[in-house]
Amino acid sequence: MAVVARAAGDGGGSSSEVQWCFLQVKGAIDEDVAEADIISTVEFNYTGDLLATGDKGGRVVIFQREQETKSRPLSRGEYNVYSTFQSHEPEFDYLKSLEIEEKINKIRWLPQQNAAHFLLSTNDKTIKLWKISERDKRAEGYNLKDEDGRLREPFRVTELRVPTLKPMDLMVEASPRRTFANAHTYHINSISVNSDYATYLSADDLRINLWHLEVTNRSFNIVDIKPANMEELTEVITAAEFHPHHCNVFVYSSSKGTIRLCDMRSAALCDQHSKFFEEPEDPSSRSFFSEIISSISDVKFSHSGRYMMTRDYLSVKVWDINMENRPVETYQVHEYLRSKLCSLYENDCIFDKFECCWNGSDSTIMTGSYNNFFRTFERNMPRDTTLEASRESSKPRAILKPRKVCTTGKRKKDEITVDSLDFNKKILHTAWHPMENIIAVAATNNLYLFQEKVN
Amino acid sequence: MLGRGLKRKLSDYEESMAGLSSAFDSSRGLPYPLKRQLVLNMCLTKLQTYKMLVEPNLHRSVLIANTVRQIQEEMRQESNQQPVSICPGIAPASHSYTGLESPGISLQLPSGVGQQESHCCDLRSVEDPIENSLLIVSDDDMSSAISSILKDLDFVEDISPPTCLVPTGDDQPKFPENTGLKLEDDRQDLKGAECVFGSFEISNSTSYLKDLAIDDIFEDIDTSMYDSDFCCPPLMPPRSPSLATEEPLKTFPSCNSSSANNIQICRTDLSELDHIMEILVGS
Repeated sequence: MAVVARAAGDGGGSSSEVQWCFLQVKGAIDEDVAEADIISTVEFNYTGDLLATGDKGGRVVIFQREQETKSRPLSRGEYNVYSTFQSHEPEFDYLKSLEIEEKINKIRWLPQQNAAHFLLSTNDKTIKLWKISERDKRAEGYNLKDEDGRLREPFRVTELRVPTLKPMDLMVEASPRRTFANAHTYHINSISVNSDYATYLSADDLRINLWHLEVTNRSFNIVDIKPANMEELTEVITAAEFHPHHCNVFVYSSSKGTIRLCDMRSAALCDQHSKFFEEPEDPSSRSFFSEIISSISDVKFSHSGRYMMTRDYLSVKVWDINMENRPVETYQVHEYLRSKLCSLYENDCIFDKFECCWNGSDSTIMTGSYNNFFRTFERNMPRDTTLEASRESSKPRAILKPRKVCTTGKRKKDEITVDSLDFNKKILHTAWHPMENIIAVAATNNLYLFQEKVN
Repeated sequence: MLGRGLKRKLSDYEESMAGLSSAFDSSRGLPYPLKRQLVLNMCLTKLQTYKMLVEPNLHRSVLIANTVRQIQEEMRQESNQQPVSICPGIAPASHSYTGLESPGISLQLPSGVGQQESHCCDLRSVEDPIENSLLIVSDDDMSSAISSILKDLDFVEDISPPTCLVPTGDDQPKFPENTGLKLEDDRQDLKGAECVFGSFEISNSTSYLKDLAIDDIFEDIDTSMYDSDFCCPPLMPPRSPSLATEEPLKTFPSCNSSSANNIQICRTDLSELDHIMEILVGS
């Protein structure tokens, strides 16, 4: 689709296009990227004040949005490091002679219920519940111990005093509260917190388990697509998510491009789906790679719960959950790659798993591409934009210029040809603030934050 | 391009493969069968590579295996439509087990056609010399490959909640059948798509037993012929059955396993090992 660039002051009744400005970039500038620093997941919390990233080294970094203050008006909305901790360590399974990667596959926040924040982080095998809490006061004036903690001699205690609370520098502590382990034979690809805020699901290639947040030694298997004879295996689970409002409903996507919606009230084992979403294949675009590119890499419900979005290799589809036979909207992310599928298959790029996300009002969706490009699609218009996350456009409040990939022979100025795209620079993980137009885009080891231009 | 008189080396093969995939994408001129063959070669090469990994990616392997099946199905339909049938023995419906009798896919570059019992290869040998020099695979080879890929998984019990346990009773009957046929096949190179899914179950007990425990148990047996990179030796090679099966019990407790489930797996594998021994001993 053509990029429509409009001037910011364009009038007209309908909303003008969002213009994005650079806000911040986090991460090393070096050309040499350490494998462990590659960001593997990005997630805002429910208020958008906290932004968590996980990386291949098993670390979680949480950024907090600075409060607007009169003294620093220009730092409105900046995110700064709030907490960093090592969530998962590499493990070695001695029985199977396998190393379990510490890479964080997904982070999901729990809604905040008290002063502390909770999140779930998972690697291939183990899910952990982390509590992040602040400490900004400490007690002084204990009776039985000195300021440095040593026990006082009893006979030196001549009077009783009440310890007082004194302010201290803010300390943010992350502590693991639960470890949910040994429930998955295959690699965990998704976790999703239920709207009851008490349970969550975890999905691997062949099974989905239901957990209670308080119980770590037991989980219930709710979906199992492992065939009795593995020879018959033709499909794996690629993503799963709970419905945002109905705590009995969840969906899971497959490598064959289908989505199944299940209702946990109907049976304990949800192998029988309640709804089955599949778009009939277009015979004219059939190729050897049709099945591979139809594999869904991400599925996300809209905030309203009325729609869900799926991402396959070349497109993003929006489905109405009441209509199973086809999506209501399809957006081509990088259709120019369709003629390059064999090369992309050879270098394994065809297996890249791109994620997608909704904005707060469900009017716009976003997903990543190659060459550090990412795309936004405004559903009502329809209007789409291609933007690039790069250091070159990283000046404070610099407006991002839309990019265009040249698909015909004649390359215009500022266009980039398909052959000169850098397939090593892929944007797989993006996140949108739940209420405002702030987006976080992970480009390998760097996290870019962009904000809507404000006049 | 190759000069006159130059022999085609493996490195040239790889370069021309890379060249071919971009040729596939860019040119419309490549004939469809050649394109299909190219994709098939790439699929099998990938499966071969994944098999070498300690932990192949299940998602990717399933996608690639499906692509191979799809191509195989297409080729089978085409060969069924061929007026001259040189392959009387091939019935499309009955491929999954009869396929085990034919050799696995050979990834060696045949100068001519390098496979015994490849029924359809006669058909192909009259075609383009370029196609000949690419991997030539018969339908039976592929179906046997796909079938036997996953058969290894029957050996393995995975850690799962009780509701999903694959009853081990089902595994046992399949096992001796596979054993008998594999004894015939073990001289063949079971390469390519073979055994990829066999190491899937990330539990991977199969390869653990092959690589570690069996070596420990049967130390006095010469295993050099099973050490080839491409060979995925079956669980029960014709080794001396004289060793007591108590030996495995000594090796397993040394595993550092933290959950009872792991010990369950050991025990199941041991019972399967017992079963193997019985077959070998012929009791």
